[in-house]
Amino acid sequence: MTVQDVLGQFNQIFIDVLDEEDIVLTLDSTADDVEDWDSLTHIQLVVAIEKHFKVTFTTAEIENYENVGQMCNGVLEKLTAQTA
Amino acid sequence: MKEGDIFNQQFTATRTIYEGFLEIFKDRNPMHTDASFALAKGYQDVILHGNILGGFLSYFIGECLPIKNVMIIGQKTDFHNPFFVGDELMLSAKIKYISEATGVVDFKYSFVNQENKKIAKGTIQIKLL
Repeated sequence: MTVQDVLGQFNQIFIDVLDEEDIVLTLDSTADDVEDWDSLTHIQLVVAIEKHFKVTFTTAEIENYENVGQMCNGVLEKLTAQTA
Repeated sequence: MKEGDIFNQQFTATRTIYEGFLEIFKDRNPMHTDASFALAKGYQDVILHGNILGGFLSYFIGECLPIKNVMIIGQKTDFHNPFFVGDELMLSAKIKYISEATGVVDFKYSFVNQENKKIAKGTIQIKLL
């Protein structure tokens, strides 16, 4: 799985959670770029991502991610670690 | 609380709740207020407002969990069957997911009446504060 694969799945999760059909994420996307991505929906996005990829984040990880790309790579690292 | 935990809470759909909801929110649709109208639509009596269940869910989350530092952040309800004044409703809520990082707890719940008929089901998401 590549970071682009993860990004594609993120995009669908964002569409589902935020209920916005026209979301197109990039690795540089931040909350400023996506309508309705606020502090509450951020929590719901994190939970949906955890469930979808069957990974868990720490509070520190969540607070340190600055954009979608960093979060995608975080997921990729966790998936890689699971299969190592 | 841990994943898989199940909580059960009984509620009575009292006339006081029914009349209170009517008085406060003024939804006097004949389905809720005109027995002959409801009868003509195939119901045994006026049906109670489905969103009364939201009040029961609020009580459950606010008062029946072992912790108080909670806030509902998401809720979904599917209404399967009506309920009536005097019905005894049993809420069963199961913890489906806990996210340690976000402090979010996902419940799946259902309401059944005294005849074990499903009244509603859905999900409710809370955040630990």
